[in-house]
Amino acid sequence: MSRIGVFVCHCGENISRTVDVERVAAEIGKLPGVALATDYKYMCSDPGQGLLKKAIAEHRLDGLVVAACSPRMHEKTFRNAAKAAGLNPFLCEMANIREHCSWVHEDREEATAKAIDIVRLMVERVKKDKALQPITVPITKRALVIGGGIAGIQAALDIADCGHQVLLVEREPSIGGHMAQLSETFPTLDCSQCIMTPKMVDVANHPNITLHTWSEIENVDGYIGNFQVTIRKKARSVDMDKCTGCGVCMAKCPQKKIKSTFDRGLGTRPAIYVPFPQAVPNTPVIDRENCTYFKSGKCGVCAKVCGPGAVDYDQQDELITEPVGAIVVATGFELYTINEKPKGSPIKGYGEFGHGTIPDVIDGMTFERLASASGPTGGKILRPSDGREPKQVVFVQCVGSRAREKGISYCSKVCCMYTAKHTMLYKHKVHDGQAYVFFMDARTPGKSYDEFWRRAVEEEEAVYIRGMVSRLYQKGDKIVVMGSDISVGVQVEIEADLVVLATAVQPRQGADALAQKLGISYDTYNFYSEAHAKLKPVECATAGIYLAGACQGPKDIPDTVSQASAAAAKVMTLFSRDQLEREPIVARVNERNCVACFYCKKVCPYGAVEEKEIRDRQGNLVRVVAYVNPGVCGGCGTCQATCPSKSVELEGYTDEQVMAMIEAL
Amino acid sequence: MPTKNLLNYSYYPGCSLHASAKEYDESTKGVFRALRIGLKEVPDWFCCGATPAHNVDELLSLSLCAKNLSLADNVEGDLAVACAACFSRLKTTQHKLAENDIKRKQVEIAIDGAISLEKPVKHLLEILAKDYGLDRLADAVKKPLTGLKVATYYGCLLTRPPEVPELDCVEAPTIMENVIAATGAEPVAWSHRLECCGANFTLSRPGVVLNLSNEILASAKRAGADCIMVACPLCHGNLDIRQREIEEANGTRYDMPVFYMTQLLGLAVGVPAGKLGLESMIVNPLPLLREKQLL
Repeated sequence: MSRIGVFVCHCGENISRTVDVERVAAEIGKLPGVALATDYKYMCSDPGQGLLKKAIAEHRLDGLVVAACSPRMHEKTFRNAAKAAGLNPFLCEMANIREHCSWVHEDREEATAKAIDIVRLMVERVKKDKALQPITVPITKRALVIGGGIAGIQAALDIADCGHQVLLVEREPSIGGHMAQLSETFPTLDCSQCIMTPKMVDVANHPNITLHTWSEIENVDGYIGNFQVTIRKKARSVDMDKCTGCGVCMAKCPQKKIKSTFDRGLGTRPAIYVPFPQAVPNTPVIDRENCTYFKSGKCGVCAKVCGPGAVDYDQQDELITEPVGAIVVATGFELYTINEKPKGSPIKGYGEFGHGTIPDVIDGMTFERLASASGPTGGKILRPSDGREPKQVVFVQCVGSRAREKGISYCSKVCCMYTAKHTMLYKHKVHDGQAYVFFMDARTPGKSYDEFWRRAVEEEEAVYIRGMVSRLYQKGDKIVVMGSDISVGVQVEIEADLVVLATAVQPRQGADALAQKLGISYDTYNFYSEAHAKLKPVECATAGIYLAGACQGPKDIPDTVSQASAAAAKVMTLFSRDQLEREPIVARVNERNCVACFYCKKVCPYGAVEEKEIRDRQGNLVRVVAYVNPGVCGGCGTCQATCPSKSVELEGYTDEQVMAMIEAL
Repeated sequence: MPTKNLLNYSYYPGCSLHASAKEYDESTKGVFRALRIGLKEVPDWFCCGATPAHNVDELLSLSLCAKNLSLADNVEGDLAVACAACFSRLKTTQHKLAENDIKRKQVEIAIDGAISLEKPVKHLLEILAKDYGLDRLADAVKKPLTGLKVATYYGCLLTRPPEVPELDCVEAPTIMENVIAATGAEPVAWSHRLECCGANFTLSRPGVVLNLSNEILASAKRAGADCIMVACPLCHGNLDIRQREIEEANGTRYDMPVFYMTQLLGLAVGVPAGKLGLESMIVNPLPLLREKQLL
């Protein structure tokens, strides 16, 4: 006969308000095999846990049921208490009478009856629980960081400085991301390049960092501590070992009229190029779509002029597979594309703003390039259409953001601040110019942020108009901005020389595809989901994968850097141990009954099922059966539900246990 | 008797097309005959209520349209509508009654009969661009309108209100441009194609119309248009009939003929010019048409 102890928690009043906990304890105490049933105000508190520990010894308990909240909340707490009292922790189970009962019912009688049922079922389950031992898995102390913007760079440097190897993978030819494109940064107006490029050089020189630019993640296998990552190194057409970065190829390339993505189409670049002069690595890449040699087989100038003979037209994409123990995802953001409907997106764009048809209607990042000292105008604010200096500039905030009807309901968080910054940069460069800003709200929480915004309004004389713009149109060489000023309730028309749209921040195209490779979750906008909004802000629900930067949600540079360092700290915590303990709630195969149909292998979402050969003593193959790798198994039980011969069972959730629970109902 | 028509529609002309916009009705029938599209007028149709009805009494407005829709059920084919206001009101009624059971009940009592919302209501533009097809339309052109620069004017109602199933994108539509481009004419890119002309303020507060319509004419002129093309009798009234007044009030001269889209299409598909009601336009279009050798 079992000797099970049952502890019913009041949870303050959370449970006892609707459930008669004393009656639950009294009723359960009558069940065969229950040696003790009692109740207490706060089971999770120190005295509550003490009660449990003491009872284990006094009543020689061989199983526990804590009737309280969800196991997601406190299962670990009570299992640890059981362990401390010398009981195998997996003989302790929770009966959820809070979320599943007291919180969702009002009738005290019915709720109490239901609570008794819930606890009774759990008693039957515990009777058939087996003592389980934790599984230990080794940890590969090597991290993968995906994305070479400021988030990825910061995380990579922190982990590498701690003495661990880091693989940094970047899709573009150079690391640096969006921050390398910015002019000055709020709220201090220090030059983005000046604080960014030294960090990029640190990455390149760090002995613990291996940099893979112009590369993408092809595939991810494995689990925490033991991932296998396949990286596609796209053909650069330039041998990175031979290239000295002299730049002669770029100077001689006859194809020079290609619009530079880095300069947002304001400047041009050759077909063999580095995105910007401070690029890391400083090795060019050939843009095969625009290269005359790749299009027609003629030209070949870059190969001829290259002293070290680094240009290699025959280079192919290369796939490499690397073992890593942890992954930091830092893929960043992109700006909402006005007038285009991204593939598969419900978001329709602001046709009435004329972006794309009126050349002097630009987005915020394009303005950054205009204001940047290393930009196509050398830092002079000049209109893209005719190169004239604009005397009236209208900034429009919340283009795409906070616009439910366009599909994006969130606030992009950075636009209020960068627009305030833009008005200042403009005023500093065009003294007799006037900046207008159409805004819904000025959202400036953050250290020194509101002061910065007020400076734009009060000292730099930007005119803020609360209201939205209905549309823009070209009239001669002016752009007429039609909007409303809702503080005074009038319609406003401004004839502007340049209009800057603060477009929404959204996740990278393909963010969902990468999430599927990684097995992490994402929200409706494709932002990656953290495990807990408050208490696990950098962890994914998938163990061993962490988030940094705007791929998780719109973020400015200080927040991004903080989150990147936090993610790095999580990786270092993981790497501080030699072995990882995992819960032994995994599936086990009964090899005698297995008929080797491998349905389990087909349905397993974790790829944990392998084919195992059984041989006799002479080494002859007897048969093949399924084997579940306990290190990979996620404990979902899909195999158990699928197996036609009932040969695979999840520990702690065996058929016998579930049947016993049903019978007790 | 087998019909020779390629497509067949029931037809709701609306009040204007039997009065101030007779030339729209006449040219619509001419174009559709030339394209072999059948139009059968809904018997006993009456006013949709237009702007006044829904401004004073929503139930009245919904009931007028609902009754017309149920009358339309007596004629086969989707319901073709020429006037932008009728189109907007009929579509809005279908939309509102489909999603509000209480209003539906009220209207049922008001019109003392069942409501029928199933028949698709289509503007002529939709019929030409989607049902008939731009390719077929281009094939039917006998006299291309080459060299004619047209400012296509949508006005407020063709694509609005936005929550009603739309004819085209609310804020950046292209359907008018596509239709007129099929005739070989050149639609110009201009800024005021979706602005309000002042609509029925033309009677109560003409000053508003003089201002708003002036902006539209000025914008079309700026864009280099030879003429404006409309699909709404009220827009036509404001831009064409009031044009001299607008010019006087603003001390300027536009001489901008304002065509119904079916008048231009009629010229292109070979409807005799005498059957397009060109003579009833206030701004004389004949000098322009002669200059472009379209007559």
